[in-house]
Amino acid sequence: MATTDAPPLPSAAAPARNIFAELLSKYGLFAVLLALPVFYGIKDLRDQGDLSPLATNIFQGLSNGSIWALIAVGYTLVYGIIELINFAHGENFMIGSFVSAGLWGTLGLTLATGPLGLVLGLLLTLIVAMVTCGSLNVMIEKVAYRPLRSAPKLAPLITAVGFSFILQNVGLLWLGGSPAGVPDLLRAQDEVATIIGIRVQRADILAILVTIPLVIAMVTFINKSRLGKAMRATAQDPDAARLQGINVDTTISLTFLIGGMLAGAAGLIYALYQTTIWFFQGFQAGLIAFTAAVMGGIGNLKGAVLGGLIIGVIQQISDSRIGSEWTPAIVFGYLVLVMVFRPQGLIGEETREAG
Amino acid sequence: MAVASPAQSTPAPKRYSLEGGLPPVAGKVLFVALAVFAVLLPLLLDPISSLLSDCIIALAFVIMALGLNVVVGFAGLLDLGYVAFFAIGAYAVGWFASGFFVDANVYVGVSGFVLNLPGIHTNFLIVLLAAMILCAIGGILIGLPTLRLRGDYIAIVTLAFGEIIRVFAVNGDQIALPFGDANLTAGRQGITPVDQIQLPFLPQFTQLDLRPWYWLVLALVFVTLFVVIRLRDSRLGRAWIAIREDEVAAASMGVPLVKTKLYAYAVGAAIGGVSGAFQASYLNTVNADQFAFSFSIFVLAMIILGGLGSVWGVVFGAVLLSFINSYLIPDVLRTVPKSLGLEFELTDLGFGIFGFLLLIVMVLRPEGLLPEKRRQIELTEGVGTGESTFEVRA
Amino acid sequence: MFIRSKAALAFAIPALVTGLAACGDDGDTAAKSTPNAPAAGGGQATGEVNVYSSLPLQGASKDQTNAMVDGIKLALEQADSKAGGVTVKYESLDDSTAQAGTWDPNQVASNARKVAQDRKAVAYIGEFNSGASALSIPILNQVGIAQISPANTAVGLTTNEPGSEKGEPQKYQPTGKKTYSRIVPRDTIQGAALVTQMKSDGCTKVGVANDKEVYGAGLARLIEIKAKEQNLTITSNAGIQKDAANFRGVASKLKSEGADCFVFAGVTANGGIQIYKDVAAALPDAKLYGPDGVCESGFTNPEKKGIPESVGKRFKCTVATLDLTSYPGGQQFLKAFSEAYDEDNPDPYAIYGYEAMRLVLDTIEAAGQAGTTREGFLAQLFKTKDRDSVLGTYSIDENGDTTLTDYGLYTVGPDGDPKYESTIKAAS
Repeated sequence: MATTDAPPLPSAAAPARNIFAELLSKYGLFAVLLALPVFYGIKDLRDQGDLSPLATNIFQGLSNGSIWALIAVGYTLVYGIIELINFAHGENFMIGSFVSAGLWGTLGLTLATGPLGLVLGLLLTLIVAMVTCGSLNVMIEKVAYRPLRSAPKLAPLITAVGFSFILQNVGLLWLGGSPAGVPDLLRAQDEVATIIGIRVQRADILAILVTIPLVIAMVTFINKSRLGKAMRATAQDPDAARLQGINVDTTISLTFLIGGMLAGAAGLIYALYQTTIWFFQGFQAGLIAFTAAVMGGIGNLKGAVLGGLIIGVIQQISDSRIGSEWTPAIVFGYLVLVMVFRPQGLIGEETREAG
Repeated sequence: MAVASPAQSTPAPKRYSLEGGLPPVAGKVLFVALAVFAVLLPLLLDPISSLLSDCIIALAFVIMALGLNVVVGFAGLLDLGYVAFFAIGAYAVGWFASGFFVDANVYVGVSGFVLNLPGIHTNFLIVLLAAMILCAIGGILIGLPTLRLRGDYIAIVTLAFGEIIRVFAVNGDQIALPFGDANLTAGRQGITPVDQIQLPFLPQFTQLDLRPWYWLVLALVFVTLFVVIRLRDSRLGRAWIAIREDEVAAASMGVPLVKTKLYAYAVGAAIGGVSGAFQASYLNTVNADQFAFSFSIFVLAMIILGGLGSVWGVVFGAVLLSFINSYLIPDVLRTVPKSLGLEFELTDLGFGIFGFLLLIVMVLRPEGLLPEKRRQIELTEGVGTGESTFEVRA
Repeated sequence: MFIRSKAALAFAIPALVTGLAACGDDGDTAAKSTPNAPAAGGGQATGEVNVYSSLPLQGASKDQTNAMVDGIKLALEQADSKAGGVTVKYESLDDSTAQAGTWDPNQVASNARKVAQDRKAVAYIGEFNSGASALSIPILNQVGIAQISPANTAVGLTTNEPGSEKGEPQKYQPTGKKTYSRIVPRDTIQGAALVTQMKSDGCTKVGVANDKEVYGAGLARLIEIKAKEQNLTITSNAGIQKDAANFRGVASKLKSEGADCFVFAGVTANGGIQIYKDVAAALPDAKLYGPDGVCESGFTNPEKKGIPESVGKRFKCTVATLDLTSYPGGQQFLKAFSEAYDEDNPDPYAIYGYEAMRLVLDTIEAAGQAGTTREGFLAQLFKTKDRDSVLGTYSIDENGDTTLTDYGLYTVGPDGDPKYESTIKAAS
């Protein structure tokens, strides 16, 4: 660990070690990421002669991971702009699920609803969930983070935790302490097709069909639109942005609005996909999304998506090969390794923090 | 809540701290008065009352918070996996001072009842030392991968280690150790009971008289306070604060980053181990369910709420939050709705009340309840509002 | 001075406790003079006793524990807070904290000490979690207060049968006397019942999953043991991460193992609904079984956010309660419960809570005046024989276990709630 002594000032004295270190940091990461799939791929080939079990794991992992990706994007957006670990984000997502499921009841969406009604009802639910969670997130920012903008850096972390407790309590009172099954409106686990040994279920199609367009829209918005540019400017340097005539407060609110809307959408998809919701789902999802955001490179949208997908795959492989009870340790072990090889995350950008 | 009252009785203006705002003599008098009060407190309470038990837990949390404060407050390394050291300290007790390893019959420095029990039974002082060593090693191991990282990346890596250790605690009942019929942990079943503390020249502690426990943990608090304050004012302590303020500048001034950071992790971890070992003995169990992420957050909330980096603030924050959690919400507030003639159980709102209190206190006092002097100056400078007069005073 | 006073106190306190126990001894002699306590009913017993319950009222198990408290209160209300002539006061304690969201060792020990301190306390209903009981049993044991758990099934709390750990149960009883009893059968019985049922339904390869809790993991272990005894193949026993988003990975593993039956040893709150859904989808022909942890309307009824009807059709579960409608005590309970709480299908935990309190009241009454003392109550509790209750007829054996061995087999009825099907005589 001697190389880690000081800020990167590579000593010219040890070129051999540097080459090794460079090789390690370049390819070590790939080796680490591929270790599990390759190992189990070989095992499958040996035991059964084909790769379809592994392919199934990876496919289901990507489909699961796309929900994590959606939450992680919201996480990383907020982090990018005010460098706050928004612990309440996961709870916001949970509220999204609860609002969606509640609205199905109000709209009378059941298993018996026809396709047209279902599509219209779900679209309406999507809009309501996104608006609710978006405004909730803006409200949280106004109440819990804005008063602390000039406070020590860690103070908002505690208000975030405070808010997440409050929202968990709301969820607890709303649906009780046990996971609640909700109507399986899309018959999520019905098989659509089997492609090269992979069972494709409706849920997978839903997750991928909703997530990809949403993420693409988001990235385009942030890269191309005026508001998106304002967001990026604020993220880089709020004071300079203010000097450029950008209304920093509005921009931050907007970021929270978008992050919350994504959480709301993820909430609806989660409810349709898993068909079970409970007050604690947000905590777990928040932790995973945070991990995904960091793994990809915090503040980086594509990184968050990549991180979410990778975590989804690791989880599935671990669940079916190693044992579900070890999954969190495997995921976090991966995270530590990624951090060791690439301290700035997989495709990390220089944030104010890391720069 | 009694401990909190002196702070209320000195209605200092908003930005005065205990350390900074009071003249040195008054500060000393206040400290002595508080210490005497703390020592005598159990005599005023019933020896097995819940309140005394809550005091013991609060003091154990004070030690925890002081330890985390070394890492987060002094050295500025955001640690979200502090629960790891609670776990390691607790397992030191589970392994070395209980009947957990049933095939072993090892007795070191113990007497009486436990001599008839199987397992490894070691005197508490030795266990305490073992816990500190194990935790210090653990702290260094967890610290190593974070050395190249900055800011919140450190947070997630420490969080990851905290979770990994929790998963091992939960699933350790499946990991057979190479000797005898033994596993790594007892998982959620828990290692229960563990040895009650025996100290030289004193009768064995029991669950039916809490006063010895209280005085022991109070003594540990005093020792920890002494160590932490001495460290803070030492060369090492200044190096920590230099790193916290500006890592690059500190490095270029010749502060050895690796060593200094690892010291912070090791010291913080060892202190956490002391508290973990004490809590395991006092709570009479080592159960994997205790080592959740929320515990790390709870301790972190204590030090941030109290005033990051400020020793007295941290003590105050720990006592306050611990009492809110174990006394105010379950014991005091529970009866409120009923006495108002309302028909609902407040326990349903426990989470929410706790969160709301965190939120309110933080918004009202962003710099913490008793902020560190140095930080206070930074803040007022940073904000640059009309409060700059305090710069001169402090 | 500090050391000396500490030592002095440490000596003084046990003396105080012994003093308390000595007070109780008087009561005990009184009881002994009238060997069959109920006969003493001629002179109506009087006085006042306190009964406590200690359950995790916050967090994920709050629904079950609230149901339990409802049951306890109902029993007390029905008796008008009287056991014979003795007035019974009840207080519900919380063994959880907001920060932990589950039982907390400090709260458990505090509750036990609080009760230990109360001279009028005779009985302690709790805990909900076996791990928590392991903490409160030794404390209450030292002061001789009877403890009745309405929910613990971990084998080692009462016996050293397979499934327990070395040193159990002695290590929980510092005085060597038994003070702990329970009204739910230990896992051994239910494990055998489930295996018997699966075998008679024609299962050949059973996949087991458990929620890693004391209850779930212990039950899963006993299912494995009992399956071996009865020659039923267990393909795997997987611990699950209870808060995972879904268990498709676990289900695909079961599929690759070729399981034709599945049982989840755990409770609804720990991912129960999700794992049955995922397994049902991955193994469309497998039969599904569950223990009492999921045998409740909150799990079986889609209206109450339970599993969907399509999964419910394939599901059977076991509970120690038999058909409540088939005998007078059960009917009375159902009627009273629906009047009090407007709920026709009480949670099994409400029934356990109700029976725990009924047992306390009847024991006090049977012991007569001695029932107002700790010793008298405890002695009478362990004399419980052939008691008619909402759970069926049972006795409390010398270990503190209930002698109930019959399990009710339930399927999901047309209304979505568990419907009594038949009684399983567990082949043990």
